Amino acid sequence: MLKLLLPVLLLALGIGITVATDRPDPPADFTFVNRGDVSTLDPQRMSWMQDLRIARLLYEPLVRLDVLHENYKVIPGVAERWDVSDDQTVYTFYLREDAKWSNGEPVTAPQFVYSWRRALLPDTASDYAKLFQFIKGAGEFFEWRTNQTADYADRVGDLSPAERRDEVDRMWAETLAKFDELVGLKALDDRTLQITLKAPTPYWLDLCAFAVFSPVYEPLVAQYERLSPDTGQIKIEFGWTKPPLTVTNGPFVLERWRFKRGLFLRANEHWWAKDTLDIETIAIPSIEDPNAAVLAFETGAVQWVSDLTADYRVALLRDKQAFYEEHADEVARMKAEGMDQFAIAAALPDDPRKHVHAVDNFATYWYNFNCLPTLTDGRPNPFHDARVRRAFAMVIDKKPIVDEGNRVGQPVANTLIPRGSIAGYTSPAGLKCVSDFEGDPEGLAAHIEEAKSLLAEAGYPSPDDLPVIELLFNKDSGHDLIAQQIARDWQRYLGVQTSLSQKEVGVFRNDLKNANYMTSRAGWYADYADPTTFLELNRTGDGNNDRKYTNPAYDALLDQAKFELDPEKRMALLSEAERIIMEEDLPMVPIFHYISLYLFDPNEITGINPHPRANQDLYLVDVLGDGKGRDEIKRIKKDSDDVSAVGSQN
Amino acid sequence: MRGLLLRRLAQLPLILLVIYTITLALAWAVPGNPLENPAGRQPPAAVVEAMKRQYNLDSFPRFYTSYLTSATGLDYAGDLVSGRLAEQREQAEAAGVAAPPRYIFDLGPSLKYEDWRVNEIIAGALPVSIVLGFAAILIALVVGLLAGVIGAVKPNSAADIATLVIALIGISLPSFVVGMLLLIVFAVSFSLFPVGGWGTVSQMVLPAVTLSLPFAAYIARLTRMGMIEALGADYIRTARAKGLAENTVLFTAFLLVLSYLGPATAFAMTGSFVVEKVFNVPGLGQHFVNAVLNKDLFLIMGVVLIFATLLVLFNLVVDVLYRWVDPRIS
Repeated sequence: MLKLLLPVLLLALGIGITVATDRPDPPADFTFVNRGDVSTLDPQRMSWMQDLRIARLLYEPLVRLDVLHENYKVIPGVAERWDVSDDQTVYTFYLREDAKWSNGEPVTAPQFVYSWRRALLPDTASDYAKLFQFIKGAGEFFEWRTNQTADYADRVGDLSPAERRDEVDRMWAETLAKFDELVGLKALDDRTLQITLKAPTPYWLDLCAFAVFSPVYEPLVAQYERLSPDTGQIKIEFGWTKPPLTVTNGPFVLERWRFKRGLFLRANEHWWAKDTLDIETIAIPSIEDPNAAVLAFETGAVQWVSDLTADYRVALLRDKQAFYEEHADEVARMKAEGMDQFAIAAALPDDPRKHVHAVDNFATYWYNFNCLPTLTDGRPNPFHDARVRRAFAMVIDKKPIVDEGNRVGQPVANTLIPRGSIAGYTSPAGLKCVSDFEGDPEGLAAHIEEAKSLLAEAGYPSPDDLPVIELLFNKDSGHDLIAQQIARDWQRYLGVQTSLSQKEVGVFRNDLKNANYMTSRAGWYADYADPTTFLELNRTGDGNNDRKYTNPAYDALLDQAKFELDPEKRMALLSEAERIIMEEDLPMVPIFHYISLYLFDPNEITGINPHPRANQDLYLVDVLGDGKGRDEIKRIKKDSDDVSAVGSQN
Repeated sequence: MRGLLLRRLAQLPLILLVIYTITLALAWAVPGNPLENPAGRQPPAAVVEAMKRQYNLDSFPRFYTSYLTSATGLDYAGDLVSGRLAEQREQAEAAGVAAPPRYIFDLGPSLKYEDWRVNEIIAGALPVSIVLGFAAILIALVVGLLAGVIGAVKPNSAADIATLVIALIGISLPSFVVGMLLLIVFAVSFSLFPVGGWGTVSQMVLPAVTLSLPFAAYIARLTRMGMIEALGADYIRTARAKGLAENTVLFTAFLLVLSYLGPATAFAMTGSFVVEKVFNVPGLGQHFVNAVLNKDLFLIMGVVLIFATLLVLFNLVVDVLYRWVDPRIS
């Protein structure tokens, strides 16, 4: 019988040993579920929202955005002040003396040069290398280094191993010299950083606050870089981002990071403004299943679900709407007082129905039209003609898409840039669509007739003259439902034949890049607070111009805006540019603006902001009533109640 | 016995090499570029090409050999002999930071989770999978043997049919259904267990039970079959006549179960993708699916090689146990 028990004992022993060696994280002051698993914590390499969110906790760039201010005002970070030259191209940043790394070493200007150079080197393959090319000479440097290594790759076969090593060393020395010669980025001394821009860039400070512009600790990171004799490039490994190796300079430090299990952060005792923190520890468990995230919130295991995607979010939203209708008068009064949406939610009576929050995003979902004269298979492309594009854009019924397809009620879009998301920018009216004629059948009929006559003008008097219209979209996320609705509208109002083409996301992207499509879904989350973050997408030759749209007048407006120093005039130029693509040329037709759904109890945590750019700086969070920090609701500051300006802006 | 051990262990590298070659060829043929991040911003094409070159993703033979030298420890040995390893350590010390960790058997970087080496990913996930898999097999053994014996002692009785039905349900119900049901009943309604995560014993109960069901059902059927067969055998009749206790028959049936335990344990440890998803368990199973979806070549190779090693080892353990339990086999 003992022999029979042996396998059982073996199994039990195996369990015992592994359980005994597993140490769970301690409870944290604040626990939240991120949008998804962190991909990398190397600031120069990141581009996912969930990574950037953690980076803002771990790193501090030159300046920061006050995300609890209605306009995301720029405030000092590592730089305590800065000067801007009269022509707005030279920025001089003065670093604060008490800016320290988590190991107590000072943060210096040369470290910024090193970090930004990393981002600019094609070797690093930074997704955001382009943003650094606002700096004078940066684009040239990037291209020069790309050519240098490409050239090396062509001749490496002829070199002996010893020759290769010498050659890559020589190339690297040459690269460093070239960087100093070309790029307008200089450390004048340990605490002064001077940046010369290619052209005036009114949103440059906003960019400097972006997490990708954070410094990294050179003595550490350099250990992970070595020149590869095979490619001539720096071969980078990324293990330095993990504790206990990592060294950072932000409000929090990473104490533990377990793959697919979670991150644990603790306040950084060396951070210069650590006294402003209201929490000491943050836990970010890795919860992938959308339903599990909601269950974790409901059982109190987490306090904030930052991206509610569970299917029954629709029901949750409906419940919330009902709750707000019960308190319609109070809500209206508080709105009139100018309270932000989270402050209103906090002021309402306690009820689990108010825990779900819809937040507008700085992002748009649209349909692309391929603007090339011919399709990849050689057929003529009807969408080359702007009139055809306009006609197709006019007849989409956008309201049912957000109400029935997505069912979370995103705002319908008539412009590329979400209205009201950029201070000082006036959006054009945009093209009307079917949904704008609710309760006006005559107006709708005239609108449809107008679309048909546009087609006739373009040489397609009958729908049979048009080829079968193909709609391309990628699998998942409900893109299929949206494509079906749009195809139905085109069939119904224009009488055209449509075909739906669903592809796996990698293939889908490839087709877009190669303009191998007629119409396709697309979307964009903007990067910085300026209309150009959207408008550059349609510039001739832009890497993200999947539509291959080209209009010299449009490009000229963008160029003019580039050198316009008067902010008002500049915004007017950009608004005119958006009008061209949204009312006349329609290389793309906006469908809706994305929203995010948050799940949190506004009476339990505070410090989350409802701004469409959705930068959440979680070191601002306070858990109410936990006895730590100030324990009072943080309201969104407004320009009007701003009395003491911080920092010195020229 | 020693011959068996030595022979099997000597075969292991050969088996792994064959599996490595076939898997890599298949994974290489999967369309798509592993360095591409479909939803993120795109670096220029020239940069992507250069990145591919860095990881040897532009040439199958180069990737094949470079992975092999790194995973077998040849690279490490080379750096150790040439003094490059010591040099790295000195450099780091001079800069006042920790030296980059080096692995003897380096399975490479994950292409999707850039900050992680495949070694680290497996080192983190394997203990979780061991506990989950072992616990599931343990539960399956206890439940399956009991149910099997009940069925075999009185074939075609109500108890037998009941165990048959339950076993059928156990095999046919997909684990995401069972898992969700258990969650709703025991975690949400009764709050007996936490909804997910990993680390405490109470977090392990529901996933282990969910994972054990199909194995328990299979073991129950094996036991029942083996026992009914044994109960009808001539030697049992003789043994009964001599007055042997009834439970000794279990021993014979158990041999069938034992031979099933080896592969079952390996499968329970690595095939828990759905259970991991439902209960948010950070195990190895998810990487089998996700690595292929992401075309994360290094991770695909890493988990496949680990799985192959486990399968061979567990089969070996079972074979050894088999011979020890039943002296008839040599």
